Parts: sequence; structure tokens; C-alpha cells
Amino acid sequence: MNAWHGMILAAAAVYVALRLARRKASTVYARYLLLAVASGLVLSPFVWLVCSAFKDKDVLMQFTFLPPVRDWSPDTVNLQNFRDLFSGQQTAQGTVYFWEYIVNSLFLAGAGTIIPLFFCSLGGYALAKFRFRAKKLLMAFMLATMMMPGMLFLAPVYRMIYQLGWMDTYWALLVPGAVNVFGMFLFRQAITAVPDSLIEAARMDGAGEFGIYLHVVMPLVRPMSAAFCLIAFLGAWNAFVGPQVFLQTQSKLTLPVVLNQSLGLYVQHYGTYMAGTLLAIIPPAVLFFALQKEFVAGLTSGAVKG
Amino acid sequence: MNDLRKRPAGGRSARWTPWVFLAPYLALTAVFFVYPFINAVLLAFQQTNGPRSHVWVGLDNFRFVLSDPDFYTALWNTTVYALVSVFVQLPLALGLALMLNAGRSRLKGFFRLLLFSPNLVGQIFVGVIFSVIFMPRYGMFNQFLQALIGWGLEERWLSNPSLVMPALIVTSLWLYVGFNMIYFLAALQNVEKDLVEAATVDGAGPWRVFWHVTLPSIKPVAVFVVVMSTIGSYQLFELPYALLKGFGPKNSGLTIVGYLYNTAFAAGDLGTGSAVGWILALIIAVISLAQLRISHAARE
Amino acid sequence: MTFPYGKAPFWILVLTLLSASVIVALRTGRTTERPDLVFCIFADNHVAAYRKAIAEFEKTHHVKIQLQMLGYDAFTSRLQSAMLTGAEVPDMVELLISTMGYFTRGPLEEVGFVDLTDRLRKEGLYGRMVEERFSVWSSRGHVFALPHDVHPVMLFYRRDLIDRLGIKVDDLKTWDDFTAMGRRITKDLDGDGIPDRYAIDLDSKGGEFLQMLLLQRGGGLFDAGGSVTFDTPLTADTILWYLHVMRGPHRIGFEAGWGQSLAKAVNDGLVLFFVCPDWRSKQFELDVPNLSGQVALMPLPAWAPGGRRTSTWGGTGLAITKACRNQDLAWEFAKFLYLKKEELGERFRDTSILSALKDSWDMPAFDEPRAFYSGQPIGRLYAGLAPRIPACYVSPYTQLAGAKLTEAYLNAAEYFDKHGDEGLRDFIDRELARCAQYVRTVMQRNVFLRPEAPGSREGAR
Repeated sequence: MNAWHGMILAAAAVYVALRLARRKASTVYARYLLLAVASGLVLSPFVWLVCSAFKDKDVLMQFTFLPPVRDWSPDTVNLQNFRDLFSGQQTAQGTVYFWEYIVNSLFLAGAGTIIPLFFCSLGGYALAKFRFRAKKLLMAFMLATMMMPGMLFLAPVYRMIYQLGWMDTYWALLVPGAVNVFGMFLFRQAITAVPDSLIEAARMDGAGEFGIYLHVVMPLVRPMSAAFCLIAFLGAWNAFVGPQVFLQTQSKLTLPVVLNQSLGLYVQHYGTYMAGTLLAIIPPAVLFFALQKEFVAGLTSGAVKG
Repeated sequence: MNDLRKRPAGGRSARWTPWVFLAPYLALTAVFFVYPFINAVLLAFQQTNGPRSHVWVGLDNFRFVLSDPDFYTALWNTTVYALVSVFVQLPLALGLALMLNAGRSRLKGFFRLLLFSPNLVGQIFVGVIFSVIFMPRYGMFNQFLQALIGWGLEERWLSNPSLVMPALIVTSLWLYVGFNMIYFLAALQNVEKDLVEAATVDGAGPWRVFWHVTLPSIKPVAVFVVVMSTIGSYQLFELPYALLKGFGPKNSGLTIVGYLYNTAFAAGDLGTGSAVGWILALIIAVISLAQLRISHAARE
Repeated sequence: MTFPYGKAPFWILVLTLLSASVIVALRTGRTTERPDLVFCIFADNHVAAYRKAIAEFEKTHHVKIQLQMLGYDAFTSRLQSAMLTGAEVPDMVELLISTMGYFTRGPLEEVGFVDLTDRLRKEGLYGRMVEERFSVWSSRGHVFALPHDVHPVMLFYRRDLIDRLGIKVDDLKTWDDFTAMGRRITKDLDGDGIPDRYAIDLDSKGGEFLQMLLLQRGGGLFDAGGSVTFDTPLTADTILWYLHVMRGPHRIGFEAGWGQSLAKAVNDGLVLFFVCPDWRSKQFELDVPNLSGQVALMPLPAWAPGGRRTSTWGGTGLAITKACRNQDLAWEFAKFLYLKKEELGERFRDTSILSALKDSWDMPAFDEPRAFYSGQPIGRLYAGLAPRIPACYVSPYTQLAGAKLTEAYLNAAEYFDKHGDEGLRDFIDRELARCAQYVRTVMQRNVFLRPEAPGSREGAR
């Protein structure tokens, strides 16, 4: 399949979607059928993942999914992968257990969400509701920084982190990630929609500028906060390059780094890896499930750019 | 947008308030961007060996990169990927969003969750999962293909140079269609139903309604999504790195950032790596500006 | 009172505070005293073996040694970044052959590892260890790591199935014998047009398998002086042979992959032979315990009658970083781990890896018959081949050269698929010349490796 076929196919998909978007009974079924097929395609790797996690390593490659029910036994379908995962690991710091990596990941993802939430919304507020000199220039600069490939700066940033004495600490991950341009732009868009009259009124009442941000603006952009939380959490939870490069002590590592270590050079325990991946999906899944509505609403307010 | 915005808010304090609010960003940028930035500019004209020795080489790094066939392989692969992202992946995402938007709300939430779910999995995990799924003979994808169209059981998606890009694209479709669908879905909820109804009553076909009513109202989001996925495509790295455990035979899955990584880190030539980075930044800037221009021109 | 910023920030905040307190609680429970030596290792079987041995060394020398286990990718990327930026590095590291070159791309005096050449000479280790192995850890005649192993290569085979097919492995003396046998047994058994029994597992991209075969017949990517040497008729011949083994209707090879995928293929009888250096023999034993007694090892077929029946593949070495403050202690520890006969015999039982120390091969562990390999004393077999392994020269550009050789092979494969043998040899010669030239161009750009060292070096300490 080359790119042209792909484009034709995609155009056809939009057309079919349009045809099916009408509210006739016959099209309703066709629409759900198509959606179900698409969902099935999307879902199949997950089904495979779940099956792999619960299969014994001896039969991992034997069956695409699970063995037929009559072959089920503790030798084929079991929790061995999870048991292996949670059995402690001998390290220079003594035994380290898998749940410790989960806690590390939770902390880094949580702090990596809350801290940028604060700084990005603060910056976004400044960009949305204040006029100041060089604002246009600043925003152009910010846009330009988004276009720079991060890899370009990895070596100098690494040296800087070392000089600051932050190697093997969580500062190396939390501080450079404390604020980002994308988040500031999202909040700028959302906060622009907050009526100025509310801000003026608070100012008349003698509220400080920070107080206005805290008590007037932020409560009004809750959907955006939720959307931002989800995006930031996903990014921090699944971060790989940063933790891999900056963290050293085994007991400080995060889930993605540890799981990828388990795919050794010589020995690859895919079953254990898939069991770990399955566990790694749960927190973001819970978050997304809880925040679906706000997420979509937040993106609406954030993505509408002039 | 709003009249009040034109007036400077607050009194005297307002002059420095925004700078205080922006201070964390400015401080962090100064430390973690400006210094590395200058460093990267200087590096592009040097050859280094560790922190101790460096030699100025003028434009030699740029000259080498621009004459290196591997760089053009990377540029070509990345461009193909970006084109597929914009012209295949985004229309598919839009199609799904249109279908979903027409549905009832209960099922809508259900499908939305399902289609978005790949984004809950980190790229590094996705790479490993698909590297097993694409295994010849025992991989799920190969077995599916064999069962459906009687071909593909022994195909080496990740080591046959002509199949590497398709495999990468399949994986990225799986990962990103749902994500962009959410953006389109968000935008579609803002399309005024009355306008669509009115146009339909006037006898306009679905294609015309889409073209004249729906598309103009989702245009800001569409432009945003197109620009973001172009920038994202040109910065693609983690996914092929995890999926191919490198960048594929004959550089068949090499992206520009992958090429940067190879020269700067795998080969230890930070100077040439920086030169690649600047060339890439220029490419991204030109393309993004062009896209914004086109969308502006289309508005007039 | 409700949290005014929505439930998401609230719950994430709670989560952060909770996990932070758990982390703080755990940290305080762990005291970390500064050890005398930090030793970084990427292979878990090594860590397990060293952890057992370490206590004795710590007691006799009154020191504390910390073993750090890291995944290989994480390990190399960290060590490389640290060397690039001058950040802190461990005192000792175990390296793989493929990464060694990276650290020797600058002037000799700037290599981040301690030059061991004098120590090796003084202690007479050149005679006691397999000399060819120093080639892997050398740059411009200086040795920067102590070789851990020899890694001779043999062929693994399904003894039961080969017996049943009436094949005598003793008759497979040359690769020609082997391919003739392979043509006979590679078959589509269920009639679906896809063979279900192949003779041998080889990489479809050439890759390290091709390099290993090239070494066997005296070729290689680089020579002792570090010059590119893969654009030779010998390489072209090898590619030609490899193409006919892996492609077309008469192919006898299939890429079965690694680990669990290879295990299944061998278990199913999809491939009957595979290339097996010493380190792979143990892995496979652990991966497929159920094949015990049904498999065996044989020497590689030679390229010409009477030729070399082995090759070498991979390798680990121990390097001491220049940052190490107690280099004598590190050297003592390195010798303790790598050169103690009794320990090495014991370790061979655990890992099946042949040490580079020749005296150690006298240990009884090497003569023990292994039930898994149908009672063969595999230690003796590998040790018997070890003196004949080829030297393998490593350069900072080994990875690049390997990738370019793969590129030449794959282009040749494409040509072969389209045009067959017509003009194939010329095409391969042209491709090899082009790829070798590319590597030379990149190498010439490195101002630090030019014969005249750069005069305008500036200090940026």
C-alpha cells in the first residue's frame, strides 16, 4: 500500500462517515458496525496483551491469544508472570520490590502534573489577560522553541544537571519540566474566554492579582485543568528518555525504565514485560475514565486558536 | 475578541504583574533553553571528543550532513511519515469523529474510551508490544493477515527494508487516530446544529454540508491539529527506536531525530548532531509557517 | 468545603503527597555509605556470580564494593553521556565488544579508561590468556579492558531429528557439505507452499551472523591498524553464499529470531541447526529445558577442507575508568573476578561461558558431560576450539561498518530477488566498494584520529 492509496482510502472514510452521520435507521446500524470494527482493530492488541500477561512463558508463542479452554491448567494459564514481577530484586540498595517502582512512578507523574499545572496556568493567565511590552515577541519566541527538537539539547542539559548536582535525583526531572510552552498556550486559550468583567469586579473589591488568579480564574477553567492533568499525567507517567538518562540508583527508577531493563540483552521475558505493561496502563486508564467529559470540553476551549 | 481586553488591566502594579507570573517560565527557559541553545549553536561548528577537547571545523558539519545519503534517507522517511499523518491519519480521525458525533451519548462515551485507549500506553511500551505482534509466524498481525488474505505469515515487518515504514505507520495509526479523533470530536461539538439542519433542509447533500458548514467551523482546530501533527511527525523518535530496536536495516526506519541521535550519541559526534538539529529546526519552522500561511490565505 | 479546582487536580495532589511520603519513609530506612569501588554490570547472570564471590574479596582487603546492575541500553547511554559531558562515572564497568569502540574515538590519552597494557605485560597475562581476545579491547595497540571470555562458535542441532533423517554430522565437514544436506532436508511438509523444516537459523539481514562467518574465513570489518577491510572478494564470496542459503526457492535458512521465538522454532523442528557461541548454549538450555538429551553441538563446517572449524561472536571485557581513585584496588578486584581458576570452573557450570584464561580450562567442570547436550562435555568442546578462534578487530566505527555491510547485503538481496545470478557478483563488488567508501569518508572526518593530532586543541575544563 503506498501513500496515494492511503489518501484515497482516507477520503473515502470521511465520505462514508458523512453518509452514515445522517439519522436514518438503516445508516445507524451501518455506523455502529463500522465503529465496532474500528474499535475491534484498536482493541485487538490489548486483548493480545492481556492474554500474554496471563500465559505461562512456555506457551507464550504457542497460542496467539489464550490456549483453548480444555488446555487450561496452572501450567498454561497462571499468574506466574505477575509473581515474577513482584518478587524482590537484589540490588546494591538491598532488595527492591516492584511496587516501589510503582510508587516512584506515581510520585513523578503526580508531581510532574501538579507543578506544571500551577506554572502553566499562571503563565497562561499572564498571556491571556495582560497587555505588556514585547508580548508578541515573547509568544513568537515561545512558538519557535516548540519547533526545536529536544534531542538537540540533551547533551548540554545533561551537563547542566550534572553541574547542578542533580544527577540521580528527581529534581533533574521535575525542575526542567516544571513549565512548558504547550501547556501555557492551552491555558491562555481557556483563560481568554473568562469574562474580563469578573476580573475587573474582583479587582474593584481589592483582590490581589495572585488572589484573582487563584480564586476567580482557576475555578472557572476547571475543564481545561482536567484536560491538562490528563495530558501531563500521561506524558510524565510514560516518560522514558529522561528517567533512563538521569536516574541511576535502582530503587529510584520508574516503571518504564525498569520494565525495559527486564528485556535483557540475552534473555527476554516477554510475559513478565506484558504483565508489567498491563499494570502500567491502569492508572492512566482510571484517570481517563474519570475525566473523559472534562477532557473533551477542555480541549475545545484550548484548541480553538485564532 | 473582547473590548475590555484592549484596556490595560489594573493600575500601576499591572505593569510588572505579568512578568512575575511568567517569571518561572522565563527563569527555567534561561537556564534550560538559552544556555543549551548557545551551546548547541557553538557545537554545530565544532568537532568534540568529550568535554575536554574541541576543534573548530567551520561549516564542515553542515557540509557533511547535506552531502550524506543517510540524511536524505532520514528526511525522506520522515516526510513520508508526516504526509501519511496529515493526509491519511487525520482524515481517518475526522471520519471516526463524524460518526461518533452523530451517535447517542451513552455509546459515544464507550467508543470514545475504546478508540482513545492506545494513548494510555507509553510509546516505549507500544514499540515493544508491536515488535512481538509483528513477529514472523508467531506474531498476531502476521497470523491475522494469513487468515484474512492468505499472505503475510512469514513477512518480516521489522527487518525487511520495504516493510519497515508500513509497519511503523500501522503502529502510529493505531496509536494516534484516537487521539486526533478526540480533538475533532471536541471541535464538532461546537458546530451549530441549527446551521447544519438549515442546510440539510435546503437540500444540500452531506458532502456539501460538510464542506460549507462543518469544515469552516472546525477549521481552527483542524489547522491546530495539522500543524501539531506535522511538528510531531518531524520529531518522531521514541516509537521507531522502541519498535525497531534501532532504526531498521538499511536505515529504512530512520527518522531525522533518529539520525541526530545516531550521530550525536551512538557515534559520539555532538558537533555533527547539532548541525542536524539546526537543519531540522529550520525545516520544521518553514513547514509550520507555510501551513499557517496557507490556512490564512484560505480564510480570505 | 470543596476543592475549587476540580476533582482531577485534587486527586492527583493527594496521590502525589501519599507517594512522596512513602518514598521518604523508604529512603530513611536505607542507609547508603560510600563504597570503595562502584562496579557497573549489565548482565544479570554476571551480577549473580559476582555477588557470590564478592564477600571474600571484601574481607581480605577490608573494603566495600558496590555492584550496580543496569539494563544494557540504559547502561551504555548513561556511560556515553557521562563521558561526553565529563560527569561522574563508576570506577569499573563491564563493556560489550560493540560499545568498546565508542570510547576510543579520541586521542589515546583521552580514552576514558585506564590503559592496561603495561599491567598485562608485567604480570605475564599475555601468555596465560587467549591472545586473539586482546584484539577486541585494543585501540592503536593499547589494551583498555581485561577480556572476560573467548566465545568460540559451534553449531547447535536437534540430534534426535537429525538422527532420524539419517544425517551424520561428522560428514558435514565444510559449508558445501552442509548446504547440500540442507537442500535435502528443507521441505514443505504440509503442502501449503511454505517450508516447515529449514536446515539453519540465520539472520535474514546478514547482520552479525554474516560478520561471524566472515571472521571464520579470515575476513572482517577492520584490520589490526583500524582500516576498513570489508570490500574484498572474500566478503563478496561470503555474501554470495549467504544469499543462496537465505533466499530463493532453494533456500535452506530461516530467521527464527531470538529467545522465545527461536525456542519455539527449534522445539517445533522448524529449524534444525543454529549458530551457537558458548554464551548462547546456556540461554537456550534455560529457554527450552524440555529438549534435554535431544540436542547436541558440533564444530562449524569449514570454508575449505581442513579449514578453521570455529569463529567468534561477541564478548565482554572489564575496564577501569580513569576517574577511579583506587586503580590498584580495582585491578586487584578485576583479577580476582576474572583470573581465579577455581572460581572460573565453578562459573562455567553456571554460565557455560569460556573464560579467556587458558589455565582455567583444566578444571574438572569443563570435562563434565552435560545431560542437556546428550552427554557431551561441552566445556571440552568449546575449549578445544578456542585456540583457533580468529582475531576480531574493533574500531570506533564498528557499528557503522556493520550497518553498512548490512546495507550492501540487503541491496544485493534485492538485486538477487529481481535478476538472479546474472551480474550479481559485479553488483556486490560495487555495493561493497560504495559502502566501504562511505565508512572511510566518515572516519576521515574525525580530526582526532588523524595521524597528525590537531594542534589547535583548546581546553574547556
